[in-house]
Amino acid sequence: MVNVNTVYQTVLLILNQQQRGYMTPDEFNKAAIQAQLTIFEGYASDLNQQYRLSQNDTEYSNRIKNIEQKLQFFQRSATPTYDAVNGVFTLLDFATPDAPVVVGTTDVLYRLGSVFYKDQDLGEYVQPNELRQLLLSPLTQPTVTFPIYTYENNVLKVRPSSITSDITISYLAKPRDVIWGFTTNAQGAYLYSEGSSIQFDLDVTEQDELILRILAYAGVIIQDPTIIQAASQAVATQDANEKQ
Amino acid sequence: MPTPNGGLIIETNEQYYAGAQGFVGDNTTDKYTFTFNTKLNLGSPDPTNVNYALNNFKLYASSDGITYTEVTAANWPALYPYTVNAIDNNNSVVDLAGNLPANHVLVCQLKTIDGGNFGSGDAYGTTVEQNYGSYGYLTLKDIVNNFIVGFVGQDKLIPRANRSDIIFHAKRGLQEFSYDTLKSIKSQELNIPPSLSVVLPQDYVNYVRISRIDELGVQRIIYPSNNLTNSPYEIPLQDNLGVPTQDNFGDNVEGTSITEDRWSKANTNLLNQNFNIQLYNEGMDWAGYNWGYGGYWYWGWGEQYGMSPQYAQYNGWFNMNEREGKVSFSSNLVNQLIILEYISDGLAYDLDSRIPKMAEDALYSYISYAILSTRINQPEYIIQRLRREKSAKLRNAKIRLSNVKLDEIVQVMRGKAKWIKR
Repeated sequence: MVNVNTVYQTVLLILNQQQRGYMTPDEFNKAAIQAQLTIFEGYASDLNQQYRLSQNDTEYSNRIKNIEQKLQFFQRSATPTYDAVNGVFTLLDFATPDAPVVVGTTDVLYRLGSVFYKDQDLGEYVQPNELRQLLLSPLTQPTVTFPIYTYENNVLKVRPSSITSDITISYLAKPRDVIWGFTTNAQGAYLYSEGSSIQFDLDVTEQDELILRILAYAGVIIQDPTIIQAASQAVATQDANEKQ
Repeated sequence: MPTPNGGLIIETNEQYYAGAQGFVGDNTTDKYTFTFNTKLNLGSPDPTNVNYALNNFKLYASSDGITYTEVTAANWPALYPYTVNAIDNNNSVVDLAGNLPANHVLVCQLKTIDGGNFGSGDAYGTTVEQNYGSYGYLTLKDIVNNFIVGFVGQDKLIPRANRSDIIFHAKRGLQEFSYDTLKSIKSQELNIPPSLSVVLPQDYVNYVRISRIDELGVQRIIYPSNNLTNSPYEIPLQDNLGVPTQDNFGDNVEGTSITEDRWSKANTNLLNQNFNIQLYNEGMDWAGYNWGYGGYWYWGWGEQYGMSPQYAQYNGWFNMNEREGKVSFSSNLVNQLIILEYISDGLAYDLDSRIPKMAEDALYSYISYAILSTRINQPEYIIQRLRREKSAKLRNAKIRLSNVKLDEIVQVMRGKAKWIKR
């Protein structure tokens, strides 16, 4: 995890050079959330790109391994609940309608990974049209040994329908919204409060890129094109170095 | 013999040979995981329930480790009723109603032909026997999972493949292998009823051999009737012009087969020249079957130029009655005991879907070839390589499974030194 206070203080330090401007905690929080999501969403495409390139087998510079390590913070598993009325497994809990979470967790579902039956048999995801084809052939009928599932409208429909329990899923959780929590002192100055803060969920190696991306957003906020340009160039250089 | 320690064998000697596994209680848990190769099936724990017969095991408990009684409401009310939950692999968790008391022993006995060694020794069944020899086989599930691990993935020949595709080709491969490679010959012991026909087995694909069993238990091969007779597929009733007649729905009216009727009443001794003295004296030329063909008085069927050797046997004949899905037999086989050997495709039942380890690699090659050869834009040299690999490995599998042993060949060849006198 990347410490939110470290990032905020670093951003403020860079911004305050030559008295360019100031970024309030609220502005920082919004920019930090955006920056974290941008980096997080880049992992899937980065991984896809790296899979198509030849890799080395070294301990610390295998790019695929490094990206997978960055993703491991978000990899989770959960047990969906069976809805006997509709014959489906429910993935999301809508107790808070505008912020549904994965059942039994506080995670916001980012992407469904795999579906397991009895922690062992990997169910295969099929589209509805594929399902009809599979059901037509006697050789590809789903069985308890080889189950399949469809994923529609946030529910899993597992076949054969005799499966009504023991389903677990692996999924990617969305990063939590970052908060630089604070209290104010007698003079009205902001003081960092660890207890009310939410840290970045990203890997510590992302601190550099986080600061640069937040700086780029800060440049927009304080209307300073030089900061935007400098930060963007630095991010681009870093990306080029990491992905080529 | 060592206990399972991470190798492919996961059962102890006791689990394999005796079909039993036991635990000593410590009064702290009511859940016990049994790790047989066989999943525990529980119909009902109640012996008075009709589904009790579906259980493939019996559960016994003992307070001294010597005298065991079955876990029932009468014997062990504190442990009864119990449930069974299947978990990964074939492991099953038996969940008792209460904790097993300290130093008490809980034993699960799979059903076996001799009833097992616990309680009344009445755990009769064949669950243990079905597991014997299972080390020589893989399940279809193992094949699919192994294939995905070994052949599918990044930097492999097959970067991505749907699991359902692999399952499809694995099953197709198993079917093909079953016909001529695998040891999948099944057999049924049957009695020929007065109707002279028996129904084809439910998983029948083709016959291998049908034999009559004589009084010594020796099998005597019954041959197909070939040109002797046939069972017609349709028997339309004809009008006096020979045109089939139809019913109110426009379908042909079907009658019964006169051919089959005559064949069922035929005296087969007239076909194979197994004459008794009565037939001999009657004189075949005048009263016998071959009248009008100019044969001599003791000739039987087709003997104008000498008897055809294929009919010179009195074990009998069979023919496939496709219309009724039955095997029909000649009249001399009525009330006889026969063994019908046939092949299936290995997919009829879960237990069938076992692949001999000697054909494992051949099946992987079959699946690889099947997947890539049906995929677009694959280099042809890869396809050809896989095709050759598939053929070579299938040939290897056939040789391995044909069970040709040098000593056995030598024993047969010793017969070459024997003089055959005629």
